[in-house]
Amino acid sequence: MSDRNAATAAGLRITGDVHTGPPPARTSYARAAYANTAPDATKATWLVVHADGTATAYAGKVEYGQGIRTGLAIEVADELRLPVAAVEVVLGDTELVPWDMGTFGSQSTARVGLQLRKAAATAREALLELAADRFDLPAGGLRAEAGRVKADGDGGRSATYAELLAGQSVERELADDVALMPPAGFTQMARPQRRIDADARVTGAAVYARDVMVDGMLFAAVLRWPAAGARLRDVDTSTAERMPGVARVVRDGHLVGVLADSDEHAAAGVAVLRAQWDEPGESPATPVDLPALLVESGRDPYVTQEAGAPEDAFRGAAGVLEATYFIPYVSNAPMEPRAAVARWDGDRLTVWAGTQRPFGIRSELAQRFGIEESAVRVIAPEIGGGFGSKSPYPVAHEAARLARIAGCPVRVAYTRAEDMAYATFRPAALITIKSGFMSDGKLVAWRFEGYHAGDRPFLGRRGSETPYDVPHVKVTTYTSDSPLPTGSYRSLGAAVNHFARESHMDEIAAAVGIDTVELRLRNLSDARFRRVLERAAAAHGWSAEAPPSKRGQGVAIGIDVGSYCATVAQLDVQGSEVRVERVTAALDCGLTVNPDGARNQVEGSVVMGMGTALYEAIDFRGGRVLNAGFTRYRVPRSSDAPAVQVELVGDDDTPSTGAGEPGIVPIAAAIANAVFDRTGTRLRELPLQRVLR
Amino acid sequence: MVTLQINGQTRDAPDAARNLLSYIRFDARLTGTKYGCGEGLCGACTVLVDGQPLRACTTTVGAVAGGAITTVEGLARDGVLHPVQQAFVEESAMQCGYCIPGFIMTSVALLGREQRPTRGQIREALSLNMCRCGTYQRILDAVEKAAQATEGAAR
Ligand code: FES
Ligand code: FES
Repeated sequence: MSDRNAATAAGLRITGDVHTGPPPARTSYARAAYANTAPDATKATWLVVHADGTATAYAGKVEYGQGIRTGLAIEVADELRLPVAAVEVVLGDTELVPWDMGTFGSQSTARVGLQLRKAAATAREALLELAADRFDLPAGGLRAEAGRVKADGDGGRSATYAELLAGQSVERELADDVALMPPAGFTQMARPQRRIDADARVTGAAVYARDVMVDGMLFAAVLRWPAAGARLRDVDTSTAERMPGVARVVRDGHLVGVLADSDEHAAAGVAVLRAQWDEPGESPATPVDLPALLVESGRDPYVTQEAGAPEDAFRGAAGVLEATYFIPYVSNAPMEPRAAVARWDGDRLTVWAGTQRPFGIRSELAQRFGIEESAVRVIAPEIGGGFGSKSPYPVAHEAARLARIAGCPVRVAYTRAEDMAYATFRPAALITIKSGFMSDGKLVAWRFEGYHAGDRPFLGRRGSETPYDVPHVKVTTYTSDSPLPTGSYRSLGAAVNHFARESHMDEIAAAVGIDTVELRLRNLSDARFRRVLERAAAAHGWSAEAPPSKRGQGVAIGIDVGSYCATVAQLDVQGSEVRVERVTAALDCGLTVNPDGARNQVEGSVVMGMGTALYEAIDFRGGRVLNAGFTRYRVPRSSDAPAVQVELVGDDDTPSTGAGEPGIVPIAAAIANAVFDRTGTRLRELPLQRVLR
Repeated sequence: MVTLQINGQTRDAPDAARNLLSYIRFDARLTGTKYGCGEGLCGACTVLVDGQPLRACTTTVGAVAGGAITTVEGLARDGVLHPVQQAFVEESAMQCGYCIPGFIMTSVALLGREQRPTRGQIREALSLNMCRCGTYQRILDAVEKAAQATEGAAR
């Protein structure tokens, strides 16, 4: 490949605005959570077509399993009429790529993908013009195909991109109104494609943050709080300092790190630190009554949906149901625990960090050390999963602080237990729903009150609105106290809110004696919603029957990041063990750039959501996590995994929306509904296997 | 001093008590073998010792002295992927990919002792490996495909 550095590469360069569309809404997750970072330039290079005819695209997103590198390469290749293999995608290095707020909210394809398509289409037009000059023909009679520009007609002239760009250095402004390839012209998009980065992943060549080693680096192990919010009173480091291999113990406020010549020596050193802590809050001896705490501490009611007068309408309903649902804290637990390496070169800082927010971390580090952002480079290598947990990245700060004091590069890598305990969790929630309906199952009134733990209200608001046709509705979310730190998780609170709503819809079906797919269709006029539901039911072989039917079949629908999903689960229950056998999901995420990638995401979302439905819950006392690690926190394994069939039903001319998150929102309710269908027992608390026990 | 064979190369390890996973990753600099839990629970650190799968994270170098260790870096021959690697590529059996070397090593060991494993046997053999991205279905498909490919090649 040619020079990857956009600043120095020769050939055809496309520059454009750093911002890719309107700024996120003020109430959105991105704004609320991480508004600390702003672009330091308004323009950036998005694409270079090199003198050898290959291309490099640049994006501030990171690859953490969602297949974004492949998706972007496909989009660029198709617009530029190149094979996918001729397109390289550079991601997540603050020195090389356009500024970006972070990789979350499934915005990558919708925004950056579109920007890169425009950049590639602009480049295609420029190449046509270069060829028109060279052939002395009107550009209208030329077309780009397989890396060359050809004149129409037999015996027409043709030149490869390399020939057109030889010895040239051309710069073009990204044309926002450039004509994009229409779906009928796609040769790469909307077709299943393999991952372009697969080889590196199967040979071990892919470098993750945990794999980064630099010359002169010391391994650090960091003293951790015993409970969230504990404060360090004193620490005796004398024994640790005498341990084999320990170079020094560094203390910077509450941060204490043992620096050693190996990971094991550092860990042994930290184990013999004698620390005294002041622990806040609840005594670890008394378990918290979490459901009661959530309701009693609920504040700042926020109405996400309101119409009519539900309280009056309940009186006119043929039937009224009221039920309460509880969802515990769960852990993201990505396979790669967080890690960072920091190196100072004078007052310049380079940090390798597997974060979803390289630019945000750059801003934080610049602020912390009082240096210019341009003096900080954050490089996000391959990332071993995250699902939201790698947006905050304290380990980057720890490595940078320790390295600054130690005067040499430092690596900090969390153990599994550290990664799970010293983390944020998906907020626990208690949700009460009251519904009024007619004897045919038609909704007349809906009241939804969600109490979500933690001081980040946008987490709990997402996905709280009902998509069903109901004239009288009020949906309110509250912010409640949280004994544990809360944070982002795949779909934020949408999966939690959907569990309650979609369980409740099944309760109505059971109350009026109607099949659960039919009950939903009777209340659903949104065409995209109806389509995913009908397609999932048909593909699964759903046969209408009122629950409980003993078949072990459950359905739920959901929407997240603008994508529609419907999921059917088929299962059996033996004692307290639920065996999910088969899942069918239909997804409408508009134009699906890489159908195989979208399927992969939905399959993964189903498995992950199944874990939250059946097994997963963080246990705690006071602010102490009791089950950090895989011994007592069960996640799905291959022996638990169901067969998953994914139907993609989006239209090619509907703009792309995310595929990474919507698949998780219906699955927990689909499973709980299937358990009811199988056993006749309605479970309103997750994880189900605990309740069955 | 302990002598080890890794991917056909002889290496010296000064400290027999050194954790095998740390040795492989940081001393031998073969970082394809991953840390996922350090407790023998996730399989990300799986290597082969004389063809048998072993969790490097709960082992010392001393315990495998004299054995022939294969890591994920040692599977491809002259740039040609091992059939199991090739099948994972073809099935796009990965998301973040962090767990994948461990799954591949466990699968290679399985196919070494069982030429025609059933879906159930594959599922069972891989049940101690964890993929948080949830790509199990693709992984099972890939191993089935690799089994067919190796069988075809052997015929
Ligand atoms: S790291 Fe060895 S089994 Fe998890
Ligand atoms: S692919 Fe991410 S953990 Fe398996």
